[in-house]
Parts: sequence; C-alpha cells; structure tokens
Amino acid sequence: MLVSILASGLAAGAIYALVGVTYNTMFSTSRVMSFTAGQLAMLGGVLGSMFTLKMGMPIIVGFVLTLAACAIVGVITEFVAVRPVLKSLDQHLYVLSTLALALMIQQIAAIKWGTEPQPFPRVFGLGSGIWDEKFWLPVVACAVTIVALEYLYRRTLVGRAFVAIAEDNFAARALGLPERNLRVASYALAGVIGGIAGFSGGQLLLAFFANGALLNFYGFVPVALGGLGNNRGAIFGGLALGLFQQAANFLVGGIFSSVAVFTLFIVVLLAAPQGLFGGTTARRV
Amino acid sequence: MTTVTATSAQGESGAWRAALPHIAPFLGILALALLLPFVSNDYWALIGTRMAIYWVLVSGLNLVVGFAGHLAIGYVALLTLGAYTTSVLVAGNVTPAVPVFLALPIAGCVGALFGVIVGLPALRLRTFYFAMSTLGFATIVTQIALAWQSVTGGGIGIAGPEFPAPFDTPWGFYGLCVAVAAVATWMSANVARSRYGRALIAVRDAEVAAEATGISKPKMLIAIFLFAGALAAIAGGLFATLQTYITPDAFTFDLSVLFFIAILIGGRGSILGPMLGTIILTILPEIAAPLAAWSTFLYAVLLLVIVLVMPGGIAALLDFRNRRPLASNRAIVPRPAALADIVRRRTGGKHLKLRDIALSFGNVKAIDGLDLDVTAGQIHGLIGPNGSGKTTTLNVISGYYAAKAGTMTLGEDVLPPGQPALRAACGIARTFQTPRVIGEASVLENVMIGGSVEGRATFVEAMLSAPRNREDERMLAAKARALLGVVGLETLAEARADRLQHSELRFIEIARALMLDPDFLLLDEPAAGLSNDEIERLASLIKAISARGTGVLLVEHHADLIFDICHQVTVLNLGRTLAAGTPAEIRVHKEVVSAYLGG
Amino acid sequence: MLTSAAEPLLSVRALESGYGKIRVLHGIDFQVAAGEVVALLGPNGAGKTTMLRALSGLLPVTAGQVRFDGRDMTNATPRDAARAGLVHVIEGHRVFTQISVTDNLLLAGYDVPRAERAERVEEALAYFPEIAEKRHERGGALSGGQQQMLTVAQGLVRRPRLLMLDEPSAGLSPVLVDRVLNVIGRLRAQGTAVLLVEQLLEKALATADRVYALVQGNIVLEASTDESNLAQRLERAYFGHESHALVTP
Repeated sequence: MLVSILASGLAAGAIYALVGVTYNTMFSTSRVMSFTAGQLAMLGGVLGSMFTLKMGMPIIVGFVLTLAACAIVGVITEFVAVRPVLKSLDQHLYVLSTLALALMIQQIAAIKWGTEPQPFPRVFGLGSGIWDEKFWLPVVACAVTIVALEYLYRRTLVGRAFVAIAEDNFAARALGLPERNLRVASYALAGVIGGIAGFSGGQLLLAFFANGALLNFYGFVPVALGGLGNNRGAIFGGLALGLFQQAANFLVGGIFSSVAVFTLFIVVLLAAPQGLFGGTTARRV
Repeated sequence: MTTVTATSAQGESGAWRAALPHIAPFLGILALALLLPFVSNDYWALIGTRMAIYWVLVSGLNLVVGFAGHLAIGYVALLTLGAYTTSVLVAGNVTPAVPVFLALPIAGCVGALFGVIVGLPALRLRTFYFAMSTLGFATIVTQIALAWQSVTGGGIGIAGPEFPAPFDTPWGFYGLCVAVAAVATWMSANVARSRYGRALIAVRDAEVAAEATGISKPKMLIAIFLFAGALAAIAGGLFATLQTYITPDAFTFDLSVLFFIAILIGGRGSILGPMLGTIILTILPEIAAPLAAWSTFLYAVLLLVIVLVMPGGIAALLDFRNRRPLASNRAIVPRPAALADIVRRRTGGKHLKLRDIALSFGNVKAIDGLDLDVTAGQIHGLIGPNGSGKTTTLNVISGYYAAKAGTMTLGEDVLPPGQPALRAACGIARTFQTPRVIGEASVLENVMIGGSVEGRATFVEAMLSAPRNREDERMLAAKARALLGVVGLETLAEARADRLQHSELRFIEIARALMLDPDFLLLDEPAAGLSNDEIERLASLIKAISARGTGVLLVEHHADLIFDICHQVTVLNLGRTLAAGTPAEIRVHKEVVSAYLGG
Repeated sequence: MLTSAAEPLLSVRALESGYGKIRVLHGIDFQVAAGEVVALLGPNGAGKTTMLRALSGLLPVTAGQVRFDGRDMTNATPRDAARAGLVHVIEGHRVFTQISVTDNLLLAGYDVPRAERAERVEEALAYFPEIAEKRHERGGALSGGQQQMLTVAQGLVRRPRLLMLDEPSAGLSPVLVDRVLNVIGRLRAQGTAVLLVEQLLEKALATADRVYALVQGNIVLEASTDESNLAQRLERAYFGHESHALVTP
C-alpha cells in the first residue's frame, strides 16, 4: 500500500505543483492570482486528447500544438482579464475578471468537448503497475520544467528580467525594461507550464472539463502553503499535498480525503497567511 | 447640542418623504410579483418561485459580497446544507419527523452556524484566498452529500419537504416564497441602511480608517455571516420543496456562479441592483431556450463586461442623482464658530504623555526613545525630515504599531500598545496622510462613520428597524450634517465621496474625526495638496477645535502653518527629539534649520 | 556636446503632475543645458521626486510640455526616455537583490545590442571599483552605500545625455556621499548633464552649477551656485517668512 500511496501521491503532487508554478509564473510579473491556472491544466488534458485521439495526430505534434494553444490562452488571459484591471486600485477586480474568463473557458470545454471524462492516450507506452507511465510522467515533467525554469531564471537575460520585475516592478520600469512585453511573455510561459501539467497528467486525471475547477483549488493549496510567487515552496507544497491526499485517500476513503485537504488548507492559511516559506506583509498605514 | 435636537424633532415625516424614492422600486417589484398569478400559468409560477428563493439567498449574500466586499463564490454550499437539513428533518430518517415550519428555522440556525464557519477565514484572508476557501467548501459539501448515504441518500437523493395547505399548490408555494423574500429584503435593507451597513462598507473600502473610528471588523463580519448563512439555508429548504426531490447533482457550482454574479451585475453596496440582477439571470435562460446550455457562459461574459466596462453595475446605471454635475466653482468655507453648538467644551481636559517610546522595523530604529507631551486644548506641531518618525509616532499613538518599549497615557488612562480599534473609545480620533474615505458612499455617510461607537442599537435591533436604531440614525445624521456645516461642505452631503476634490476629502476626514467629539485629535499632513486659501481656513478650523479643549497633534510639512498656529513644536530627527519649544524658539534653532534644509 | 545653442537639452514648460487626484506640481518651468549639473532642492513633500518621475514617464504628465534633445518627450514611457538618453536613477537604492551585480547592470542594458552590453557594463563598473570587486555577488549582499552606487552604475550603462539622480546620498556615510558625488564631477567633465535631487544642501551647492528650489509644487527660486548668500535665500524660500507667510488673524 505504501508504494501505491507514494506512486499516486507523487504523481498527483507533481501535477498540483506544476499548476502552482503556473499560478506563480503569472503572479510574478503582474501580482495577479488568476483563476485560469487550473483551466490551463484542464485544457492541457482536453486538447491533448483531442489532437492525438480524436484527430489522430502523432503524440509529439499533439503535444506541441497543445502547448501552443495553452500559451495562446495564457496570452488571452493577460489581454482580456489582467491588463484592463491592473491599473485599477480596486484589488478585487482581477479575481472577478479572471474568474469570468476561467468560467468561459470551462463552459466552452464542457460544451465543445462534452461533460464526460474521456480517455487520454499513452504517451510512451512504458511501464506498468506502480511504474506505469501515468505515475512517473507527471513527476518527470515536473522535474524537467523546474530545471528548464531554473535555467531560464539563472542563465538568460529574459529570465533575470522576470526575476527583476517580480521583485520590484517600479524599479524595473524605471530602468526601462519592457515590462508590458515581459508580462505577456510570462503569461505565455504560464500557459505552457499549465499545458505540460495537463498533458503529463492526462492519463491520471483523464480529459475532463471539470478538472479545471479541481486543479484551481488543488494547485492553489501548494501556492498558499509555499507563499505567493515562491516556486520552490509550490513544488514542496504540491508534492506534500499529493502524498497527504493519497495517504488520506487510502486510509480514510476518498470523500474524507477532500475534507482533510480542505481542513489542512484552512488551518494552514489561518495560522500562516503568508505561507510556510515566508514572505512579507504589506504596510497598512 | 442645540442644532442636533432641533433637527431631529422634524425628522419623522421628513424621513418618510426622503425614503420614498428608495422604497418605490421595491414596492413596484412586489406589486408585479403579486400580479403574476393573475396573468400567467404554472410554468411561470415555477420560475417566479425560483426567483424568490434565489433572492432570499442573494439578499443575505449581498451583505457579504456587495457590502463587506468578501468574494464568497461558493455559497451554493449553504443552499445545499439548508436543503438537506430541512429534507432530512422532515423525512425523519435520522430524528423523529419534524414539521416543515419547524424544520425551516432549524435549518436556518444550522446555516447561520456554518455561515460563520465558512466566513471566519475572511477575518484573515483577503480576495483570492477567501474566494478559494469558499470554493473548496462548496466542493466538499457536495462530496459529503454524495458519500453520507445513510442520511442524504447519496446519489439517489431524498425527497424534499412538503408544505401543508394552502402552500401545497404551485401558486400557494409561490406566495409563501414571495413573502419570505419580502421579509428578507426588508431585513437586509434595514441592516444596509443602519450604521452596521455603513461599517461594512467602511471595512471594505477604508479598513484602516474604520478601525480608527472604533469599528470592530470581527463582530461586524460574524453578524452578517450569521445572517447570510441563515437566509441561505432557509432558501435551501424552500429550494428542496421546489425541486420535490434533491440529489447532489441539483447543487452545481453554476448556481453559486449565478448568485455571485447577480450581485456584481447589480452593483456593490446596493439592494435594488442585485435584486434586478437575480431576476434577470433567472429569466435569461427561460426566454432564450436555445441559450440554456450556454447560460453559465453568458453569466461569465456578463461578469467580464461588468468588471471591465461598468464596475458600478446596474446600481450605478440607476444612480441618477450622482450624474448631475457638482458645482465647479465651489469653495470650502468652514464655519468654525458653529463648532460651539456641536462639540462640548472641555475644562481641564486630558493630556497625552509619551515616555521613552521605541519602535524598530528590522534593524531600522524608527522611533528611538521618544518623549512627547501634548497639553489639552493646545496645538502641538510635529515636524522633521522624511523618515524622522513623525507618521510612525502618530501610528504608535493610534495603535497601528505597538511600541517595543515605553508608555503612553491619556489623562489617567494608560493606552495599550497596538489595538487601533480601541482608540476611538478612549476619545482619540485621527486623519490620514492620504485621505481614507469610502468613495462609493455619500459624503454624509462618510462622516457618520466617525460616530459608529456612539450608536446604541444592536445588530438585531438594526435588522428589525427598532426604535433605538432609528434614534441612533437620526442622531448620527444630524450631527454629521452639523459637522459638514462646520467644515463648510454641507452642500455636498449627498454626493458620492469619490466625486470630490482632494482638498474636500481632507476636510471630510476632519469632520469624520470630530464625530467622536474627541479629547484628542491627530492630524497627519492635513495641509498637503491644499491651496494657500484653503490652508488658511484649515488653520482657523484647527484653532477653533483646540479652543474647545481638544488636544491636537499636527504632523505637517508646511513650516508656515506649523509656526503660525502651534503652541508647541517638537522637531524629530532619526526617531529622536531634536528640539522642542515654542514656534519662536524653534524658528531660530540652528540645528533645526539645518536639519530641515538637510544641511 | 552642445547640439544647438538655441535649445537646452531639457526644457520643461508649465508641467503639472501628481498622483491620481492629488496634484503635486503646479506648472513647473525648468531647463537643463547640455553638460550642466543642476540641483533641485526643496523641503520634504515639495514635489522633487514627483518631478523626476513625471520627466522620466513614471508618472503621467497632466499638463505642460517636456522637450528633451529637440524632441517632444511629454508622457513618453520610461523605456523611450531611457533610450533617448534621459535616464532616471530612482530613490532608495532599489537594486534587484536576487540577482548578481553584473546581472543588475546587464538588465540596465536590456535594450542595448548584445555585443555591446558587456562593454557598457565594464564602462559603468570602472566608475565604482568597489562594486566591480563584488560583481558576482547578489545585489542583496551589498551594503546600502554599494547598492546606491550600483543604481548609479545602472544609469550609466545607458550612456545618458542627462542623468537624473534622486537623493543619491540618502542613508550614506559622508565618505560614500563624496564618492558618489565625485562621479558627477567626472560625468560633467565628459559632457553628461546631471539633474540632482539632494537633501545635503552644502554638498549640492558644491556639486552643481545651478540650483532650482521647489516649494509646494512651485519653483520659487532659480540661481547660479556662485551667487552670494544663496543659503539664506533658500532658507527664506523654504520657511516662507516673506513669500508664503500666512496672514495671522
């Protein structure tokens, strides 16, 4: 049982972690938590299944097209739901605009794709039992994404510009960085990461429109645990959440595992609103 | 106090005439609702009933979302809870069967309890976090309903409660639901128009200022979460009857979306707007049947349009009064003399004493052993270069920062460090460097906020519009009007505060602070952004305030204002007193001059 | 470096700006010639920082005109301003703490062609040997004074025509202040104009060719630094003994 918990827990955790990183990537350049993060991952599954199974494309082509489509949805998020409300002093507006867009994406998926979960193809066709690719694929995808992001942030000028904007948007603007373009780029990047989460987790979660809302929540928990914008925190938080959830699933049953996750989420948030991995409070006066 | 009593005498009949335009639309909608049985068929009875039930929930949720500004997007959870509680109690598969008219109030109590449990995170979490926590709650309630088969019937479901005659026909039940909806409207409107409703908006838009006026956010929020939870659960009970048979599938997240979006389309801080929003969203899929599948999509589009194009919603469209332009050549002409009628004169008032106050942020010593004495009835200036600790000192006095060391006393009382919400009761009022007013509320309401601690009516009295609440309202409104006269803005009393100029907002803040009739007034750069004429008027107003016995601590950059009106001046530098004395002494103080010039 | 004798490098006419509803600047007229060092003085809250921000496009200009190097730069974006050579070093040594000193400088040259970037960074570092030594350390590891030097160096990567420095001495020890202000002298020698907002009056007067005093959003004084009794005149302008005294009832 322990190995099953480990295998499924790490797999689910890796998906949650990737959705958490999707949240963070959008947050870093815009200070906006977007409800579209989970929907991007949902689209990763649904579009991946559509391109490869329904339209019969080769896996690699379907994968690239899925990521491209998700990147476009990310950019649409920036243009439609983020840019217009960024200037507003009213902080809650982005919650509403991204929620509206997320609902629209989910409804289109439900109507165009159907409301029943549908299968996702095998990608490599490797492994069985607890070594089935549906378990290790998300973990590998998560690891590869992290390495790629580390490379981006540490070795490229664009990546450092992201870091700079995340730390001090005003100083970055004063320095003459093309802040707006970089923000659009970060939303495209977030789309790609969300797409990877959905595609790699397709076999585990299936192609299902309602995954969007689910992943919105389960992807946000690691962000809340790890602190906004903290990718390392999101990864640890995601994996811990996956293991906790699957352990609860095996020990007390599926329904109560959601209750356990929710309770954990609320308790942690109330005890440490800034996340377990630090962060700062804004000055109020 | 003469003006206050004089205006309240004529209040009763005038209040009705003033309220009529506000009540008329509701009476119109009620009349249409009562006409419906005579002009349509059972199908419309069903839709009308659904509309009324949704509104019962939305009228409560509106106080949470529209007034308090908390993005509770998962309220379908409380509808589910109410529906199952009522159905299970009436069916008697757990307890002995309970009559439906008893089961409904019990469900209301359960809903109120869970309303608070779901709402409590709002005390610490803002916006996205709180939205997420309600969303999470919504998902687990459905899952529990599905799993707890022995009670809820799981996926098979359970029969909804049946009402006895005459409520067992479609139109009979419709009548019952409309009656409940009318009562819910009345109660939520009473709350909204009372000092509790204003306090909710104050906490939403100007939380820091609300605290300074003594509004307790936890108490306020618990009260409305109880109220909204109870209404949601009662709506759930009625919903179960309407459905005749309930399964977890009946409570989709789409319903939550409908409730939430109805409020935002209606407009924040309004009752009529969300009511129209509920009506529109319920009818929309019915009159355009092919669109039914796309209804949630349409709601989402509407939400996006509202957010991007028309943030005020329907309420802003209907707000004709605030579209009339304000006079452009208006000037602020305070009448400090009128202060004598409102603020009582103090003799031997309280002195404020700070001893050895220290506070640091990280390694930076913001205040480093500060002593300060402010005498009652005097104006005390606090000046110094940027970062010298002036505003920090104000924030320590008003409790936003807890000093690490030292003592503060006002008269005989020791002021506890921190706890800004308790300062109003001690008689300390303040203004802010950037005016913190509620843009969406009227000028009069903004000033009335300042007297929140003086109201005596409880939340329940406010909800039921009891005599004590009406008395509070009259007293606060009359005092606020009188104080607007003092600061010279009485002609703008009904205008939305966000339409005013910056300098006017500064004077509104002073009027709000005076609502407390404070022993002690803290002014944080009141002259910033004012024209020279306005500064002159401000100066005479401050002098008049201190002449009534109120101690004034004035943080200001305008050296001329400080030297002109202060009795005492303290100069801070690097969190310490550089010099203290009369303006004449300070003016020639060599170190001060060089510190001020940055030499 | 003078492009044309007729038009100054920066000329500002009737500039108004502020934050939202709060108007801070009430019609500023202001000029900086090429290669000139100008100090902008004034008490707290007078609008000095606001003015620099309006010039560099960080705040919207609500009225008036900004011309730089013969072009209209009213409401240009900070990026356009920096590209044109109008470079703003903001207050409070806000370097990026997570990335290295070199990366901080490379970012300042984000628009510069890749091949030239490294050269520009070396050029800027040459002004500040002590941060050149720490080029591989994170920005957060520098002391406050070094961070301030780094922000000035960031500005220099742009090879500015006019460098605007907002309180470069704030929080620095006197030795470091001299070091930073010393750089201004070297820049002037190369023909770079500098607009300096400075709290330290004596230092500012010693460094600048000309001063403006800003009080409550208005220019109340303009003088050459070699004029006599300038300190007294400034004091009077600040404290308003004459011009802005209130009428005491």
